[in-house]
Amino acid sequence: MKHTLTPAVLGLMLAVLAPHASARVKLITLPVRERVEVQLDHDSATLVEEERIIPLVQGSNQVDFAWAGTRIDPGTIVFRVMGPAPGNAEGEGGELVANVLSVSYPPGENALVWDVSASRSGSALVRISYLLGGLDKSYNYRAVAEHDEKTLTLAQYIRVQNFAGEEFDAANVNLGIGDKFAKPIGLNETKEILVDRIAAVPILKTYTADPTQFGYIDQPKNKLRVPMHYVIHNDKDHKLGSAPLPYGKVRIFQKDRPGEDATTAFLGEDWGSFTPIDDKMRLYLGVAQDIVVVRTIDERKSTRVAGNLHDFDVVIKYEVENFKDQPVLLNLAELVDHVRNEAGARSGQEAQWEIGPKTTLKGGPDAEDSTHERIVFKAELPPRKGDKAEKLELKLHLVFRNQW
Amino acid sequence: MKHFLTIALIACLAASAHARNIDLSTVPKRDTVQLTIYNAEDLTLVRETRTITFKRGSNPLQFSWANTLIDPTSVQIEFKGKNTEKLSLRDTTFPHDKPQMLYWNIASEFDGEATVQISYFTSGISWAADYTCIASQDEKTMSIEGYVTVRNNSGEDYEDAQVRLVVGTINLVEQIAQLAQQGMAMDDGRARREVLGQKFRKAEALLDADDALMALPQAAQSAPADRKQVVKEGLSEYFIFTIEGTETIPNRWAKRLRSFETDKAPINVEYRHWPRIYGNQLVRMFLLTNDKEADMGNSPLPDGVYRLFKRNATGGLSYLTQQTLKYIPIGDKIELNLGVDKELVFELRRLRVFRDEIWMHVQGGNVFRKVGGGVEVEVRSSVAGWDEHTIYAQRIRNYTPEPVVLDIRREYQGHIEFVSKLSPTRYDFQTVQYRVELKPGEKLEAMYQVTQKQGRNAKQNDVTLIDRVPAGVPWLE
Repeated sequence: MKHTLTPAVLGLMLAVLAPHASARVKLITLPVRERVEVQLDHDSATLVEEERIIPLVQGSNQVDFAWAGTRIDPGTIVFRVMGPAPGNAEGEGGELVANVLSVSYPPGENALVWDVSASRSGSALVRISYLLGGLDKSYNYRAVAEHDEKTLTLAQYIRVQNFAGEEFDAANVNLGIGDKFAKPIGLNETKEILVDRIAAVPILKTYTADPTQFGYIDQPKNKLRVPMHYVIHNDKDHKLGSAPLPYGKVRIFQKDRPGEDATTAFLGEDWGSFTPIDDKMRLYLGVAQDIVVVRTIDERKSTRVAGNLHDFDVVIKYEVENFKDQPVLLNLAELVDHVRNEAGARSGQEAQWEIGPKTTLKGGPDAEDSTHERIVFKAELPPRKGDKAEKLELKLHLVFRNQW
Repeated sequence: MKHFLTIALIACLAASAHARNIDLSTVPKRDTVQLTIYNAEDLTLVRETRTITFKRGSNPLQFSWANTLIDPTSVQIEFKGKNTEKLSLRDTTFPHDKPQMLYWNIASEFDGEATVQISYFTSGISWAADYTCIASQDEKTMSIEGYVTVRNNSGEDYEDAQVRLVVGTINLVEQIAQLAQQGMAMDDGRARREVLGQKFRKAEALLDADDALMALPQAAQSAPADRKQVVKEGLSEYFIFTIEGTETIPNRWAKRLRSFETDKAPINVEYRHWPRIYGNQLVRMFLLTNDKEADMGNSPLPDGVYRLFKRNATGGLSYLTQQTLKYIPIGDKIELNLGVDKELVFELRRLRVFRDEIWMHVQGGNVFRKVGGGVEVEVRSSVAGWDEHTIYAQRIRNYTPEPVVLDIRREYQGHIEFVSKLSPTRYDFQTVQYRVELKPGEKLEAMYQVTQKQGRNAKQNDVTLIDRVPAGVPWLE
């Protein structure tokens, strides 16, 4: 272990503390770390806690702490005397009590000096905590979906990068989720560790046609791009829910056939957002080619109410074909203002819209995902029969009222 | 100790002796030194005493401060203790060729020792407060340790100095660092001295009030020494923290001392959406009070950095955040912002917009006749006023394992009616405030309707609260 981080107890001062650090002549002992804990439970900061046993003499003691070449935030250093070192609880002079009287910061050095007063000579267990820059973490996931895409095996990994200028031989690393682990992390080393692996996690596969968000795959033919998503629910019903899922890259593979001898193919990857317990992670994996959605503005009509006050009717027609041999749940989404622009019904007012009577989409807007700005319908598409896919004609009728 | 700052009794010389090139001088040492450091300005009042042996007649005294940041206009000498009535300051000379030096010409009516007190302002010494806060694992209580850190960049070492820290904002018409650089060559005479007089009167008022604190005992030498006490007392608009005993603070060093500690200050956890203060986000707050219940309340808490940690299950610490808070008077709230809690979903959803109460402004009529048909009269009119209603759902999902309390403020411009059953109050004429509580795992859609009167319908510029169920959202029903 490199001693870049060095607490030095000045057991014997050969010269008094002179004003300049370079003039400080001293005899020092070097207490090693007894235990190190690295707290990676914060989004942007890494807290290191180390325990050392320091020998103290009765009376005043100078404890030097230096961190040359590392990025410790000196304002965050917390020094706590936890009590006598194990086996040192009682000694001549009774219980060992130590107090930190002051902290001095020498000029031009990454160092500080604690003035510690001890009731008797003996060893004390101290805990030093500080924020350390350059020791970062990130999460990533690897998921293998079953051939039927009903479930997947989700593996969560943490990647720790140590550019902190200090190596940690046997640090207990606390991720804030899952169990702690004890692994050495060398200088400038990156270590990836499996946090958890959960098999048979149920997933929902969805398809979404949204001209504003995903655009067209063939605009002259009005064919919408239809991306495919996996939705992972972070709850107990879906074999998860023990901890939030941190932000990270998710790579998804799929077994190429049922059974044990299957190999895997890469389906795609996406950034998984932070997902609290009971919430869901939505992953965009790629574009579905077997679901065809042709979208056209079928009708556009203006009706004068009074003076310059008008209502507008806009009907959007979707011709949908599912060429898959599985039934599919399709999300059809429209941005209300985009529809008004497209139909030339834009005004200076907020849209006051209603669902019109010519709508053939069933069930009304999805209560969970729809808002005033964005309407989402869900449509169930039957599988193809043989080599024939049924073409569904679905309509969304929007009435924009009181515009001028 | 570096002897940048010296006082020399020039021996056997006449009053004009300092004009000569060959001098003989003795250098009396400091007996005591006191630093009164202000945190709001780069200003420290130094008061030191030295014992000097005077001879009957004229005694030239040289005071110099090479390579320091002392304001030369502020240097004063007083006589203390015995025989003060037999000593008098005849004049003070600032030699033109030695900007960091002055000569006092002192007349003595006796031969013997006397104590002189020299005081002056210096810049380059500062102090700052900071606080280490550790919340208990259940977030019910918090231990707080307050610290003061003194930094000395004045160019002078101060050994065994009594240190006093002043909390408060004083008025300065000129910066001490600037005066130190200018020296007396730039002095504009009476105006400068008037300023100096004002500054001194203010600072001396602080000094005189607690002279007794100079006599505070040194920290006990028996082991273990207790942590030094920091005595706090109020004075006028200021608060003085006096550090027990003396401290040695060499030039360019900093020293940090504990000013207070409390173990179990009760915490209230609250979530706030107050956009004007915290931005457009929901933040998690730790709220506590600087009072007796929290084992504090003895003094205000000066501006400083608060570093927040939380005890974890293994007895270690987890880092939460750090922030700077302004001065907190005794009895006032300490509001610590922990930032956004990702496990509490807070999303404002707009569900419906509709308009009614539409008024048309009639501008006249046009008559149209269809060829071969009838006549149609069209009145030209345009919209002149309307009410625009917007239905919102404040979606809140508590994914944390604890019950939560949210305090939400929404600010509106114009003539507004806020319709809801949320029991809101008005924070001010255009800001609505309401509170909601959620159990662990609970999901809530807090519905409300904002009606904005537009055009000729707008008569006021404020918010009216209406206790009624908002209009429905057809596509949700």
